[in-house]
Amino acid sequence: MTGLSIRLPRAKKNRIQAGIALLGVVFFSAVFIYTFLYLRHDPVLTDLDRRLLGMSLQHPLGTDQLGRDVLTRLLLGGQQTLGYSLLALMVALFIGVPFGIISGYKRGLVDRVFMRIGDAFLSFPDTIVAIVLSGLMGPGIGNLVLAIVLVKWVSYARLVRSTVLSESQKDYVLIARINGLSSRKIMRKHLLPHVVGHVLVLASLDLGKIILLISAFSYIGLGAQPPMPEWGAMLNDSRPYFQSRPELMIYPGLAIVSVVLLTNMLGDYLRDRFDVKKEVQQ
Amino acid sequence: MILSLEQVSIGTREKKIVDNVSLSIREGEWYALVGQSGSGKSLLSQAIGRMLSPNLQVEGKIIFNDHDLQSLSPKEIRAIRGQKLAYIFQDYQGSFTPFRTIGQHFHEYQKAHGNRDSKSRKAKTIEALESVGLDETLYKRYPFQLSGGQLQRVSIALALLLSPDLIIADEITTALDSVSGHRVLELLAKRQKETGCTILFITHDWRHVRRYATRLAVMKNGKIVESGGKHRILDHPQHEYTKQLIQAAPILQRGLPSGLEEVGSV
Repeated sequence: MTGLSIRLPRAKKNRIQAGIALLGVVFFSAVFIYTFLYLRHDPVLTDLDRRLLGMSLQHPLGTDQLGRDVLTRLLLGGQQTLGYSLLALMVALFIGVPFGIISGYKRGLVDRVFMRIGDAFLSFPDTIVAIVLSGLMGPGIGNLVLAIVLVKWVSYARLVRSTVLSESQKDYVLIARINGLSSRKIMRKHLLPHVVGHVLVLASLDLGKIILLISAFSYIGLGAQPPMPEWGAMLNDSRPYFQSRPELMIYPGLAIVSVVLLTNMLGDYLRDRFDVKKEVQQ
Repeated sequence: MILSLEQVSIGTREKKIVDNVSLSIREGEWYALVGQSGSGKSLLSQAIGRMLSPNLQVEGKIIFNDHDLQSLSPKEIRAIRGQKLAYIFQDYQGSFTPFRTIGQHFHEYQKAHGNRDSKSRKAKTIEALESVGLDETLYKRYPFQLSGGQLQRVSIALALLLSPDLIIADEITTALDSVSGHRVLELLAKRQKETGCTILFITHDWRHVRRYATRLAVMKNGKIVESGGKHRILDHPQHEYTKQLIQAAPILQRGLPSGLEEVGSV
């Protein structure tokens, strides 16, 4: 967000950013809920008589090359893109956070084994894993999510581990142990709350990247498969019509940009909120 | 004997930090373990509860209430921790999980040792707080809202909560000012009289030893150089190191010990 830094007092800028992010989140949630409740057109029904229509009351954003309503596909595509991104993120969190806590708390052999496993996963970039997986198991959004999870969980495990490593040295963990609490209880009740803030920040920043990744892979045909609506896939579908109907590419493109921007702003805001050091400096 | 250490050594593979220490503590006494920083006192005390990190190896026998602590299963040792054996540490700020209230700490430890009834847990918590002279408004407070003396008193209440047989107090007054420290120790002594528990008191402060201890041991570089009754050691120290330590102790009433000159007077 450095490109947008306007000279404003930090706190004020923060509040504006938070406001925009919040508004955006509310807006998108409202839109998606609305889509669920009210669907006027079948998003996959092709109707070649009505292809490439312009804006009209019946089709607010027109129709695409197969006569499908663009607005419907855009909204449903958003559900797909965001839904699968969130799914990938959640699964990565559910694997990474426990791994990190156990690794940081148990230390020794457990830690070393866990971290070497993590390193092994980390040595492949997510793009490579995704391409290999779709080569082995066929293209599809499920495989893409799997690839993202396989690579992303490691960064959460490492983040959580480093926090837990320093926290578990403190006396209160020793006291909890000496008072007869089991390791599981200590990890869940005394260590987990410490890492929630950090994890939230990283997750919200990652969400944007995952959305981009899913869209990019759908664009090159390795993610969402037709006729499923997805923003990246919609971009690709409308490529041949760019000269005559450029707005078909602009809609999904704008959608991707605005959602990624929003998640980044949200992440920035969360980072500022949870960064204790900055608070002290002010 | 409530606790006896038999030829206990602690160390990494390369180096021994605690070397062949044997001592035994009788029921109901206030046993002081004295020594400089780095002499291995705290390590020894943590070895008793099997709290050391896995890269430190412990040899020898630690017998507590007729159990050999080294041979117990993790579950058995968990049952002893907190219920039969409790600790109080120097760092009162770090002794409490920052985002949990005082009450939650008390509840959790009672729950871990089988008290399932939330009402009786609360009653016991408030009773424990009152027994150390704190009122029940602290129940809902967070650790950072309390002063150091208050926190250390809460630590004592927490340690005594399940009426353990042995309390290990590791330099508990070091981080407090002398008035609060004095109050905390008076309280500990009072609670000991009431409950009859045994205290292993780790310190480097001779004033506390003189005032409270029944017997003591002096540690240097991981070895016990001298042990015995308080009066015997304080009045007739045998070992050179003990003599030095006693000489170095600050005494307010009299002037400086003979042989030492005031700094700046030269």
